[in-house]
Amino acid sequence: MKKLRAFPCAFLFALILPFGVAADTALVDRIVSDHIIPRFQKLADTTEQLAQTAAQTCDLTNGQLLTDYNAAFDAWVGVSHMRFGPTEQEDRAFALAFWPDTRGKTPKALRQMITEEDPIVGVDGGYKDASIAVRGFYAMEFLLYDGPTQELGHPEYQCALFRAMTKDSARISRDILDDWQPDYAALMLSAGQNTRYQTEKEVLQELYKAVNTGFEFTKDIRLGRPLGTFDKPRPKRAEARRAGRSLRNVELATYGPLELARLLAGSNQGLQERYDVLEDYFAKAVAKADDPVFAGVADPQHRIKVEIIQQSVDRLMEYTQSDLGPYLGVSEGFNALDGD
Amino acid sequence: MTSRRLFLAGLMSAGLTPTTTWASAGGPSFLAAAKTDGGDYVLCGLSGAGQIVFQIPLPARGHAAAAHPYRAQAVAFARRPGRFALILNCATGNVSAELTSPAGRHFYGHGVFDPDGRYLFTSENDFESAQGVIGVWDSAQDYKRIGEFASGGVGPHDIILLPSGNLVVANGGIETHPESGRAKLNIATMEPNLTYLSLSGDLIEQVELGTDLHKNSIRHLAISGDGLVAFGMQWQGDKGQVVPLIGTHQLGQDAEILDLGDGIYDQMNGYVGSIAISADGAEVAATSPRGSVVVSADLARRELIKVTPQADVCGVVFGGGGMVVTTGMGQVIGGWLGGQESYPNLHWDNHLVGL
Repeated sequence: MKKLRAFPCAFLFALILPFGVAADTALVDRIVSDHIIPRFQKLADTTEQLAQTAAQTCDLTNGQLLTDYNAAFDAWVGVSHMRFGPTEQEDRAFALAFWPDTRGKTPKALRQMITEEDPIVGVDGGYKDASIAVRGFYAMEFLLYDGPTQELGHPEYQCALFRAMTKDSARISRDILDDWQPDYAALMLSAGQNTRYQTEKEVLQELYKAVNTGFEFTKDIRLGRPLGTFDKPRPKRAEARRAGRSLRNVELATYGPLELARLLAGSNQGLQERYDVLEDYFAKAVAKADDPVFAGVADPQHRIKVEIIQQSVDRLMEYTQSDLGPYLGVSEGFNALDGD
Repeated sequence: MTSRRLFLAGLMSAGLTPTTTWASAGGPSFLAAAKTDGGDYVLCGLSGAGQIVFQIPLPARGHAAAAHPYRAQAVAFARRPGRFALILNCATGNVSAELTSPAGRHFYGHGVFDPDGRYLFTSENDFESAQGVIGVWDSAQDYKRIGEFASGGVGPHDIILLPSGNLVVANGGIETHPESGRAKLNIATMEPNLTYLSLSGDLIEQVELGTDLHKNSIRHLAISGDGLVAFGMQWQGDKGQVVPLIGTHQLGQDAEILDLGDGIYDQMNGYVGSIAISADGAEVAATSPRGSVVVSADLARRELIKVTPQADVCGVVFGGGGMVVTTGMGQVIGGWLGGQESYPNLHWDNHLVGL
């Protein structure tokens, strides 16, 4: 198997670019500069800040530490729809965000690590070889917010473990950013001159898919898992509920792809106006929610509010498929779309 | 395995000729599900030349069909995470029986009959424990469910019969749960495999690909007369990484990737929709609706025969008249006439099943 890493020569293409710029290149350029790079920059900055704060305190209830953790988690959710290229090298995105964890691997693996005092945390840079279940924001959440996990082992080990996690996440985030600029950005801007993107349409399709799958993940997983069914609601499956972030993540994970959708829609008035309406519908649904972790999904009064949020994300997704896709000319065929 | 012809000859000599054979349904060579332009769903029988010989309405979108070995009966499965399957009398268009998956199970869209046509085996998801199961249904008891056994992995999809009469299952490795729609829940840790099972569910052999291919979901299967299994894969990793999408396996040996070079697999865009082997076992064909190509290869030399561009192609099967493919635009291409039949108001869905 050969990895197609065309990165080293991509910078050259960027230099050639001005001679063959097509209409869509300006659009892609704007998306890279205004959406992609600033968001990955923020992820790199906030995870670095978190690692620095963690290096200065072993008090895992420290206010600054929790603030920095939540800022970095915010930054992650804000890029979580962009699952292509640099985030997918070496399973980086999964190492930052191992969720959903349907088999409960994270708490199990953490328990074992802490009780056995796995020496991997003492090896400089060694944490990259740890299981993805014990890396990233969702594993950190257990150390910061989960009582039973916090009672395990020695506080000194938990401190060393948290430091190893934060350093690992900061390194990954920096690597993602470093791959994005200038190399992967140049690949997207030089479609037709590299094997990864053979046409400009493929670039637009990649970005369009990021919007779509971003909405879909939020609707089906971030909201679908805790909702479960009416007869069997699953509040404990809410994302990052220990950190009280379930609703916040839904918000950030919806506004991220929505911003990208609007950039892709460009100056098309009709699309922008419809997105205005759908955004307003989503914002109102979120404002009415009174439960940051969807704990009330078993109670019909509360459940309906979460269902309305889900419906509003679904509307964004449906509209993106029915209107933005055709506008960009990237809609897929009946079989190509199926995915079975 | 008793071939269909021998089996029928046996029945006739015993005076047991079934009343409703495939001949009474217009003698179709293939089955395929489709969506109509009006938004309805149908199951069609196609002749060897690609003409529709029957068309039966379905209540929702289908996926693959299973054909009874001699009765004019087809099983139309809902696509995942559907919970229904219909036993259709293809001569009359009537529904002979309705299958509903038990509580906690849904169908994946594929199934197969045992060589004698009594038992139907269906790939299913035990979604609370995220384990694949094979459901067993008895046609002699009006398709009553009589049991189930483990599929040997997560997310079983295609299931076919070996010449020996045993089963082989493509456990795609992807965990899904109906509460999360069609969303994939375990890409980071997925472990697809190919599992051989007896008709009573005993594990015969299990094959995995290397860890660097653990995100390559083994989905669709084809078999040659001498038991060579060809499998088509769907890559769940980054699209920038070009990986092989076709492999073969013979019981008792290691799985082998069909090395056609990165250029070919690059054109398939990470996705094989259907796979088929020619009757003489010489040729394998795989379709990619995402790359809009049909790739065929020589199995003995293990080299490319040709790449044919075809927009939104998916169904593929080898019949008496050679390779036939179907597309989402309603085309049936190949077969006895070597040409093309077009049904502009139909969108052929996923698979062509040979009879």
